[in-house]
Amino acid sequence: MSEDFRARARAWLEANAPRRASADDEAEAEARGQAAVIAEQKAFQAKLFDAGFAGITWPREYGGQGLTSAEQIAWSQESRDYDLPTGVFFIGLSMPGNTILEVGSEAQKTRYLPKMLRGDEIWCQLFSEPGAGSDVASLQTSAVRDGDEWVLNGQKVWTSGAQFSDYGAILARTDPAKPKHEGISMFIVDMHAPGVTVRPLKVATGHSPFNEVFFDNVRLPADAIIGEENKGWAAAVVMLRHERIAIGTMGSGRTSPLAFDSLRDLAAGLGRTSDQGVRRELAELYAQGRAMQLFALLLRQEMQAGRSPGARGSIAKLAGSELSRYAGNVAADVLGDQLAGFDSEELHAVTTSIVAAPGNSIAGGTAEIQRNIIGERVLGLAKDPGVDRATPFNQLRVGTQRQH
Amino acid sequence: MALILTDEEQALADSVRKFVADRSPLTSLRQLMASGQPFDPDVWKQMAAQLGLAGLTIPEEHGGAGAGVGALSVALTELGAGLVASPLLGSVLAAEVLLRLDDDAAKTELLPQIAAGEIIATLALTSGLGGHVTAAGSPDAVTLTGSVSPVLNGAESSVLLVPAQGESGLAVYLVDAGAAGLTRTRLTAVDHSRSLARISLSGTPARVLAGDATAALAAAQDLGNLAIAAESAGAMRACIEMTASYARIRVAFGQPIGAFQAVKHRLADMDKAWELGCAALRDAASAADEEPGRFPVASSVARVLLSDAYAEAAVDTVHLHGGIGFTWEHDAHLYYKNGLSNKVLLGAPGEQLDRLADALGI
Repeated sequence: MSEDFRARARAWLEANAPRRASADDEAEAEARGQAAVIAEQKAFQAKLFDAGFAGITWPREYGGQGLTSAEQIAWSQESRDYDLPTGVFFIGLSMPGNTILEVGSEAQKTRYLPKMLRGDEIWCQLFSEPGAGSDVASLQTSAVRDGDEWVLNGQKVWTSGAQFSDYGAILARTDPAKPKHEGISMFIVDMHAPGVTVRPLKVATGHSPFNEVFFDNVRLPADAIIGEENKGWAAAVVMLRHERIAIGTMGSGRTSPLAFDSLRDLAAGLGRTSDQGVRRELAELYAQGRAMQLFALLLRQEMQAGRSPGARGSIAKLAGSELSRYAGNVAADVLGDQLAGFDSEELHAVTTSIVAAPGNSIAGGTAEIQRNIIGERVLGLAKDPGVDRATPFNQLRVGTQRQH
Repeated sequence: MALILTDEEQALADSVRKFVADRSPLTSLRQLMASGQPFDPDVWKQMAAQLGLAGLTIPEEHGGAGAGVGALSVALTELGAGLVASPLLGSVLAAEVLLRLDDDAAKTELLPQIAAGEIIATLALTSGLGGHVTAAGSPDAVTLTGSVSPVLNGAESSVLLVPAQGESGLAVYLVDAGAAGLTRTRLTAVDHSRSLARISLSGTPARVLAGDATAALAAAQDLGNLAIAAESAGAMRACIEMTASYARIRVAFGQPIGAFQAVKHRLADMDKAWELGCAALRDAASAADEEPGRFPVASSVARVLLSDAYAEAAVDTVHLHGGIGFTWEHDAHLYYKNGLSNKVLLGAPGEQLDRLADALGI
């Protein structure tokens, strides 16, 4: 890598990017209004693209920079202390974007990737359903062929960013007579098409970071399939792998209310650091958080050296969700009964983060699914003795069943 | 900060791993357990003379390889994986204290012999629960009195470095194994791969070593933390490999037991903790060699993570093997006891966390 790239990145960031602040992104977005946030992020992503810092490792013909992961790492390092307003593009670029790059058609790459990189079009990922979470391959949304087109019907859930997305990558069942993994296809769906309804989903924190999305006779063109018909599970595995690596290696902000620095300062402010139990828990939290950062860095360095992290992305994902739960426990010990009721913004932010923590071990594949992946694909253990692998989907029990 | 092994480190890891497989398989440890010998002198001679392990962290001017803590870390990882019984850890700590002190005569005299494995040296570093030592007399005629335990290879060392409180504060003293009033009692070590002793001194003549003892002992503690973390990382890898292999072939209820989530998830948690610990270990080793200011915190983090994780993994190794894992003939208990011992040597988890909290300024 040329040192020139790093120097250029540093200079550009200094001139164009805001420094990291301790603002709660969701609260901030709610206060400022979503449209304003998106307009600002689109403008920033376009500047990033024009300056040559978007899609650093993506091929030039699809709008990328055609550079190596060395430049990508240099960029990550240089941008670490900036709060880049690019959050609405994170899912699109790391998941559907990388998947189209890996298994999409030439026409799809040319049509969608440059606009995705420039921030002109925002993407979401539509996998989970009310009846298909950990067992996402039991999904029931269907796509039925009708002449040259497909007709899409069903419901997706936990869809981040659907309310402002232009396109989505969706999994739908295209052959219910085949076993569940073998009758799924992945499509590109226009989120503005007739028949698409997006409703916000309010979660335990009171925020609405997710949506439920309904598809009612939505027509998809024949060339909307990513990869091949009935090979959607393979494409999904590619996307899920990118998702885990993206989540696992993004690292948590040092300014999160549950980060070590924040809780140490909170404990010091409350005079709690003379308590040996609190001191030990904070030290343990530092160690766990540091290990998490270092493991993410290790995976990035391995990628730079040409080694794919493969299923080890699940280790980072699992560790991250456990860390946030542990940090919540430490915060409870630091705050004591002040956690139960408060009238300060600072404590409100801490409790909101604690309330949000269980979401981390569910979203993007539950902790149990990550453990299955680590056990099976890292340690080579046998797969679950499921009865569902060979049974035609239309003879399988799925979702939540009523007790008779 | 490179967290991936360099080619040189990988080559060292491969050669130590091969050495362990050829010269010190677990059957050798069984022989030592049966005979009561603390370690195999031939194996130690080869470790020191052929592989140069005793001098990895000793600079070339003092007869070592000057290879750095990164090299020591990978070597100890492989030795830990094989539970190789040797006086290496005590020697490394003794050498570190000598290097950090300012006693040129002692450095010149002792370091080349330690590096070559010609003498066994150790450092009587403990938490204070195992006794303490006081110094008396004039600088030319110091004597030490007190006792300290457990001391790594205390019974086999010809040179003992003993921290003691004198009138002018803490200092490190050099005690010859043949000194008058010195009694060395081998302890019943819970870990079959460690030889530990109580050192009792009664008006024992000693030589005071010049230099800042507090700083030197803190440096030795940091290096000791890294060393135990490295051994634990290797041993933990061995536990995971052993247990995963068994879970692939042992069948119950018509399935390999690894297919059951109760087994699979426990193994996944072991693997996760091992990966995180290894990342912290690599960071600590590179800090020691490249950014020494970060080493106290980094080594402490690696130790806190790996001591606990290995001790847990070793219990799980016994457990996931079922009844056979609890037998004397199975190797699982060798790791379990090593994990138990590694968890507390040079500072139990609570002390380690207190020390880390201090280093972090909490």
